[in-house]
Amino acid sequence: MEEIPLAPSRRRFFLTGALGGAGALLAVLAGWPVWRFLSPRAGADAAENIAFPRNQVAVGQAHFFNFRGRSAVLLHRTPGEFVAFSAICTHLGCIVQWLPEKGEFLCPCHGGRFSAEGRVVAGPPPQPLDRLPVVIDADQVRIG
Amino acid sequence: MNMGKRIVDWLDLRLGMRDILEQNLTHYLLPRNINIWYTLGAVLLTLFALQFATGILLLIYYQPNPETAFASVQRIMNDIPYGWLIRSLHAVGANIIVLALLLHMLSVLFMGSYKRPRELTWVSGFIVFNLALALCLTGYLLPWSQLSFWATTVATDTAGAVPVIGDALVRLLRGGPMVGEATLGRFFALHVMGLPLALGLVLAMHLFCVRRAGISQPPFGPTPPPQPPAAFQHQEHPGGIPFFPHYVCKDLAVIAFFLVLLLVGVFFTPGLFIPPTALIPADPFSTPPGIKPEWYFLWAYQTLKIFPSEFLGLAIQGAAMTGLALLPFLDAGPERRPARRPMFVAAFFLGLALFVGISVWGHFS
Repeated sequence: MEEIPLAPSRRRFFLTGALGGAGALLAVLAGWPVWRFLSPRAGADAAENIAFPRNQVAVGQAHFFNFRGRSAVLLHRTPGEFVAFSAICTHLGCIVQWLPEKGEFLCPCHGGRFSAEGRVVAGPPPQPLDRLPVVIDADQVRIG
Repeated sequence: MNMGKRIVDWLDLRLGMRDILEQNLTHYLLPRNINIWYTLGAVLLTLFALQFATGILLLIYYQPNPETAFASVQRIMNDIPYGWLIRSLHAVGANIIVLALLLHMLSVLFMGSYKRPRELTWVSGFIVFNLALALCLTGYLLPWSQLSFWATTVATDTAGAVPVIGDALVRLLRGGPMVGEATLGRFFALHVMGLPLALGLVLAMHLFCVRRAGISQPPFGPTPPPQPPAAFQHQEHPGGIPFFPHYVCKDLAVIAFFLVLLLVGVFFTPGLFIPPTALIPADPFSTPPGIKPEWYFLWAYQTLKIFPSEFLGLAIQGAAMTGLALLPFLDAGPERRPARRPMFVAAFFLGLALFVGISVWGHFS
């Protein structure tokens, strides 16, 4: 049976494909550990709850804390009434400040203002502050 | 028209890329009798790149503080996904680099490739070798384990044998009378910034010398290597084999061999490079028994033990290293063929046997 010689272009195509395939496989094998090494650990702090004594935050005052890796704020709005928000401004991610004399939150980056209920009062923020669940448990205020 | 060709066309129009690629790849001809030992340079470049990449990754989680360094390394090994792999590649890779550096230097010595006009290539390569050893030494302390703490204590203490300035030198190395926080700070700075920067610069000089002088012809076979020219001349190899694709394939094969060696070390013999004393946090009040340096420092360790005077041992080490560094100027004859250099070849094998013998002695002593 007569052998039909392969055209150089087909040989080259095969070689390129084989080398490309092997290279891609090696890249995935090397890249996956690096990707996992660099990735934040998903869910590591998802179940974290946090609690404060009720008397830690005076009426009309706010307490900033770290909640599941993000900044949050607990506000003692009226006697015995606590609310908690994400302290991250919904405009560009700066951390809001509590102005007790005005009873509202101010974002120092672009002047966004939020009410004590977390609603947008003025400025560029497109959405209210994210609200966090609060449970009063005896003399503890539990968030999350 | 495929994308690759379009990119090369675009670059060619602006930078003359095709000319650069041809000059350095397809039209860059190597001697026809080139052998496998010439691939060690490419192997070392690959291994150094791997050390650089894994080193940057380790920096993300490592904390250079005596209080937290050990715990941060344990976290990398046990908690961070694939942290054990990155750290093991870095630790075992350092050993493989020293092995490849030794083989590279031995092959250059045996083939007499350090001779005129390649003296600067040898000297810059010798500096790279020493910088790599300094990187190994400084990196060894960073895990802040019993092994690293006491190995560094012993290593830095040997500098005290230098007459007159010995004590000051030890204090300078340690940043104080004992190994401590100051030592970790300066070793860390040297390991991640000072030494890699110096190594990069000297390596660039080394590669420039290699490329500028041209690849030396192996001193084997019927055609003797040409006599060194009186004036500067890039050594051409008309009728030789192209660097790409021919020699690149051989480079890749040997690189793959060394990577397999590295992975065998990482997956099958991790205890060889991370022994039990490396798993105990440093305790400055308790010296563990039998602390010894890494295998590539055993010759120096044992030399210091052999001689009754520490200074004499240190002086002999210094003389040996200086002699090696200046070898192209001491052995200036043009003859490179080993068969015609019996004295040199005898000294080569005796020196190698001495190095291995003293190291083995140091291991079992």
